[in-house]
Amino acid sequence: MQIHVEVNGRTQTFEAMPGESLLSLLRREGYLSVKRGCEEGDCGACTILLDGRSVRACLLLAAQAEGRRITTVEGLGSIERPHPLQQAFVDAGAVQCGFCTPGMILSAKALLDETPRPDEGQVREALDGNLCRCTGYKKIIEAVLLAAQRMKP
Amino acid sequence: MLPNAKTCHYPRTPAEAIRILKDSGPRALILAGGTTAALSSDPKVEVLLDITRLGHDGIQAAGRGFRIGCNARLQEVASFAPLRSFCTGLVAQAAGAVGSRPIRNAATVGGNAVQVFRWSDPPVAWLAMNARFEIEGPAGARTVSADEFYARHPRQALDGAELVLGVHLESPEGPHAGAFSKLARTAFDLAMVDVAVLLSGSRKSCQEARIAIGATRTLPWRATRAEERLRGKPLSAEALAEAARLTREDTQTAADARTSKEHRLHMVEVMVRRTLERAAAELR
Ligand SMILES: Cc1cc2nc3c(=O)[nH]c(=O)nc-3n(C[C@H](O)[C@H](O)[C@H](O)COP(=O)(O)OP(=O)(O)OC[C@H]3O[C@@H](n4cnc5c(N)ncnc54)[C@H](O)[C@@H]3O)c2cc1C
Ligand code: FES
Ligand code: FES
Repeated sequence: MQIHVEVNGRTQTFEAMPGESLLSLLRREGYLSVKRGCEEGDCGACTILLDGRSVRACLLLAAQAEGRRITTVEGLGSIERPHPLQQAFVDAGAVQCGFCTPGMILSAKALLDETPRPDEGQVREALDGNLCRCTGYKKIIEAVLLAAQRMKP
Repeated sequence: MLPNAKTCHYPRTPAEAIRILKDSGPRALILAGGTTAALSSDPKVEVLLDITRLGHDGIQAAGRGFRIGCNARLQEVASFAPLRSFCTGLVAQAAGAVGSRPIRNAATVGGNAVQVFRWSDPPVAWLAMNARFEIEGPAGARTVSADEFYARHPRQALDGAELVLGVHLESPEGPHAGAFSKLARTAFDLAMVDVAVLLSGSRKSCQEARIAIGATRTLPWRATRAEERLRGKPLSAEALAEAARLTREDTQTAADARTSKEHRLHMVEVMVRRTLERAAAELR
């Protein structure tokens, strides 16, 4: 079936099997920042924004994305012009292997879109569904707070 | 992966959804948030039905309470300001106890209510509140109380082509207070024990008590002996402790991967007592 979605601001038509996951469709279409981790909703590596809200791409069927708006990390910034969250993750040393990073950044973006000046507790809560096996989380939380500070209007 | 799914419908009205469900029978699978449905690999499923576009996604004040549409997301329930104070936040807390934020952003009130697992959190609050479920199907509309809805698995209570369209909540008349507690190993883990209580009256004389327990057996249940012990009596420390003891005596449970039977029984007693104490402290 054909799926019509807006990904990172561009209207797209994808050919998908109705019963496949949105995660598998997005990766096939080249959005490789959406990571395949546990595939059962536990790890958060596949986090995307759907109509602005953080959700698990592995817990959605491709068909559910019809007519929706998706944001992946590919849509946030580039190597030359990183998004303030991406720059803050680099500056705070919040990236080790990097597997969890796209999901972390999108969960953080959903938070900052809603709450531009979060306190540490709000950052922890917003990231409570994203697992990191490397960093111990401290640097990640610092990075989100740093980005919030830099993005201050 | 649903290997044999061929089409997906996006019904715009409940009537349209019910017609497709009726025509497709067991070949149809409802997708609400999708958090359970998307993990299915049932080869029987050929027809998908995304019901999130048929409305019923808001939360409205109604009478002494609220009507929550089936397609409201659990995160909306958890963060909706009027629900955070309604019955001392009992329902909002139970919704907020589910998984992590991305799960709550997707999972719906209707999907969570029907697709109930032993450890599901919100159903425990529905039971304590004696919520009423608004159901619509080929034979028309009906309303079912939470007591009835969770007397057996809701899937058995619903005829195959019926939808839950909303949940109605009403606070008791007069002074009342609620409380909810979840015992889990981490903020994200599934419950080992859930307790939801709703008290009305005063600390000198409890008018009505509803005590609901989750995660100990297949479906959430009410500790009716403990409720009776409190009805019409002062909510003294001894009375609350005895209600907690009675609940423990009535708990049927077993060990699982998370904890032993003994630990769970012990925690039922501790948590019922503490949750009752928290609610009672809110009463005059
Ligand atoms: C990793 C993870 C952790 C979780 N943790 C918790 C937790 O701690 N506590 C908790 O309570 N839950 C938890 N859940 C959520 C829970 O398991 C269910 O997945 C969720 O609540 C289902 O809601 P949904 O809207 O996604 O339903 P869907 O998956 O879309 O639907 C499931 C089924 O429910 C039925 N259904 C859905 N809507 C309706 C309706 N309106 N009328 C009739 N039938 C309907 C259909 O049969 C449908 O196929 C967790 C889920 C995951 C994946
Ligand atoms: S891959 Fe989706 S949550 Fe782990
Ligand atoms: S940096 Fe390796 S999992 Fe987080």
